[in-house]
Amino acid sequence: MTQWLAPMESYIALSAVMFFLGVVGVIARRNPLIVLMSIELMFNAANLALVTFAKLWANNTGHIFAFLVITVAAAEAAIGLAIVVVAFRKQQYVDVDEASVLKG
Amino acid sequence: MTVPAHPLGLEGSYPLLFLIWLLPLFGAILLWALGPRFKSFAGPIGSTMIGVAFLATLAEWHDATAISGGLAGAHQTLFTWMPGFTFGLLFDRLALIWTLVITGVGFLIHVYSMGYLAGDKAFARFFAYLNFFIFAMLTLVLSDNFAGLLVGWGLVGLASYFLIGFWFFKPTAVAAARKAFVINVVGDVGILFAIVAIVAHVGSISYGDTFAQIAAFSPHDLFIVCLALFIGCAAKSAQVPLHTWLPDAMEGPTPVSALIHAATMVTAGVYLIARCAPLWTASADARELVGVIGALTAIAGAVLGVAQWDIKRILAYSTMSQIGYMIMAVGVGAFDSGVLHFLTHAAFKAQLFLGAGIIIHNLNNEQDVRLMGGLRKTMPFAFIAMLTGVLSICGIPGFSGSFSKDAILTATLAHGHPWLYAIGVLTAGITAYYMFRLFFIVFFGPYRGNVDPSDLGVRHPELAGTAASAGHHPEEMDAHHAHAPAWLMSGPVAILIVPTVLIGWLAFGGADSPWTKFWEPVFPKVSEAGGFVMPELAGTLLVLAVVLAGFAVAYLRYGAPKVLAQSVPRLRTESVRMPPVLANAYYFDAAIDALFVRPSMLLGRFFGSIVDPLVIEGVVHETAHTAGWLGHLFRSFQTGLVRVYALSIALGVACFAIYYVVIGAAR
Amino acid sequence: MIAFWLLSFALIATGVFTITAGKPVYSVVGLLGNFVILAILYLTLNAEFLAVIQIVVYSGAILILFLFVIALLSSGVKPFDIGPDRAPRIGVPAFVFALIGLCVIVFSVVRAAVTGAPNAPEGITGQADAFGSVGDFGVALFTKNLLPFEVTALLLMVAVIGVVLLAGDEKPAPPRRKPHARDLEREPIVKPVEKLIR
Repeated sequence: MTQWLAPMESYIALSAVMFFLGVVGVIARRNPLIVLMSIELMFNAANLALVTFAKLWANNTGHIFAFLVITVAAAEAAIGLAIVVVAFRKQQYVDVDEASVLKG
Repeated sequence: MTVPAHPLGLEGSYPLLFLIWLLPLFGAILLWALGPRFKSFAGPIGSTMIGVAFLATLAEWHDATAISGGLAGAHQTLFTWMPGFTFGLLFDRLALIWTLVITGVGFLIHVYSMGYLAGDKAFARFFAYLNFFIFAMLTLVLSDNFAGLLVGWGLVGLASYFLIGFWFFKPTAVAAARKAFVINVVGDVGILFAIVAIVAHVGSISYGDTFAQIAAFSPHDLFIVCLALFIGCAAKSAQVPLHTWLPDAMEGPTPVSALIHAATMVTAGVYLIARCAPLWTASADARELVGVIGALTAIAGAVLGVAQWDIKRILAYSTMSQIGYMIMAVGVGAFDSGVLHFLTHAAFKAQLFLGAGIIIHNLNNEQDVRLMGGLRKTMPFAFIAMLTGVLSICGIPGFSGSFSKDAILTATLAHGHPWLYAIGVLTAGITAYYMFRLFFIVFFGPYRGNVDPSDLGVRHPELAGTAASAGHHPEEMDAHHAHAPAWLMSGPVAILIVPTVLIGWLAFGGADSPWTKFWEPVFPKVSEAGGFVMPELAGTLLVLAVVLAGFAVAYLRYGAPKVLAQSVPRLRTESVRMPPVLANAYYFDAAIDALFVRPSMLLGRFFGSIVDPLVIEGVVHETAHTAGWLGHLFRSFQTGLVRVYALSIALGVACFAIYYVVIGAAR
Repeated sequence: MIAFWLLSFALIATGVFTITAGKPVYSVVGLLGNFVILAILYLTLNAEFLAVIQIVVYSGAILILFLFVIALLSSGVKPFDIGPDRAPRIGVPAFVFALIGLCVIVFSVVRAAVTGAPNAPEGITGQADAFGSVGDFGVALFTKNLLPFEVTALLLMVAVIGVVLLAGDEKPAPPRRKPHARDLEREPIVKPVEKLIR
């Protein structure tokens, strides 16, 4: 499949689009699960950029970094979901807007 | 301590000078602090202080008149503040004469006050104020430098404020005191300006240094300095246009009017000009100005004296007019004549005021002459006393006033001012007219105290004849109003008859008189072109003729028997037909009100209602408001919603990204 | 090139579907598609190992975790979107920001001149240490980047402990106690302040 290689700028642009899709998802959705998924989307955008640059500079540190990002994303998703579960246990629903104790 | 470079007097140590100067201050402090304890004993204490000061003055006579090697009088250096600013006491002939009057007449008036104010609740306070005034006046007169003069000047103004407003529960008294003080401050500013100019030119404040370096002034600068000094004189001596405070100052007790508004404080201007004779001698323009103002004041005051019905106001305007004579005299350069008139005026004006005080006191504080009449039968002593005063002020030959008045008029003509001479002669006639008018209305005819005041044309009948109108508030008198022995009041008046009549005889003999010889070493001679020396006899006869004419008119209008029989309707007609110009004192008060008072109040109101709330408070208010508004703005960011926070994080990152991508790339 | 365009279109479409789906399960499915497309893209970039890891770990573990939690939460009556939306139009600024950000990035990327970069060899060779292969990756991971690898292990352990602590024990809620007299005493402080304000 390497014959489907596109110019590097395209991959970066694609990564950027994915990243901003994730940002919009984080800001605009009330369901915390979907927020976490949007965060995963952002992580993947970053991974795409890393891998692109690894290919560009023929340096597999990019791959390593992407691998570590995946690991961290997994850990963070786990903890995030644990928080959601705990919040769900307190009141029988979850809504991002409920966490408004810091309202000033 | 450094002596000023050109002291005017013989340097030395004169402990009696300190006694003269500081004893009244000691008395004032003592009576202020412990007055209520002393009660009526405060009177003798205050009087003793001044009496001792007077005796000390006599003891210092020899030192004051000493002359040696170009220096005259006694000089005592006090302390040096900085080079050029040495403060000291100068006791020379000029200071001697003034101090004698201040302490002598002051002592008599202290004794008189013990009788006049007996029973007043604030008895001790009065004597404290009187002593303080004596101290302030002595500071003015004994200083050897302009700054000390100014200190005394200001303190005298303060003492005048205290004394005019002595009965502070009277709103008219308070207003009068304030008016006097404010106008005096205008004069203070003038003198301060002059001091600044003098220091700028000469580098020193002492009289001696200034007079020795007159050449340092250009003629224009010298005129400015003299003008500034004269503004101070005009304010203090009630010369036009700063004279409006003097008639109102009669709100104070009569002894106060006698002491400070007749004999001493108002003559401070004359003293200043006499002291600075070298300055005036060097500036012809300044002399011209002073002479004109003096003459103008003399005649203006006399004309207003014709229109008054309050006995003290008549005397107040006559004071203004007589001081005008003195100012005119020193203005044309006849310094010794001016000082002589000061001396005689102090005697006869104090006499007149104290006599009037006796009348007021005995008539239970009645001051309107329309409600008097025929008092020569009921108060013969006052009649005799006021007669001597009236004869003296009119300049009847043989009495003191005539010597000084003739001397002034002759000198005015001799120094080349025929117009001023004419005004002076005319004023003498008017003086005779209004003084005898006063005399006839008060002492002749039927007693009108029981007549309904509105029948006499008195405008505020509810105030006439009551204690409140003249000052003694009924509650201010002790319940058992012990009448003080009558000799306390009549004694000083009797004593004053002597100088009223005789003191002018010091100048008998013209150029060879003891008086002229006394002043020869002091005053420089002023020579003017165009002077006409009138023979003495002719001059005296001319003035006498005018005076007798004034007397005749007064007699025909007020003193003739058939006039006296009709006194009530005639007085009423005159009251009603009094021209408003005269009744309102040439509208000076109205003019000052419109020119200065109203604009000041408008300005104050402008600042108070517009600038203050909008600008100053506005700045403060708007600062606080902006802080609050900013706070609200930033508070609105704290919605508490996680999504909004996420958005703001994103925006922050965006800013960073833009910076690094767009701007960083440009580098 | 067509392939790339198709892939990129699919990527964006699944992304949009993820963030705009009505139900969370749909989002998970969308995300799954996204990850698979991404793995294909990695393959085009010679990152074979990473592509496999992407599918195994991301879509095989993390997404399953998501599904489990959704299942757990959906046992409630209506667990999501209950209260009123407190920031209903927040999508607008978010979208605008995203658009601007995107333009900035694309603009800068297009403008940047990438020069003199050695390109990795094309095509998948069978060599064990070819660029992007497992061998190459393993060598790099266990030699040059050993420390990050070990730290990551630590990180994962911390994550596990954290999850257990957070969501492990289901303690019953403590009983509501009657307010202590001390607490009631604190009330009067408010009243004088109120009197001042009123």
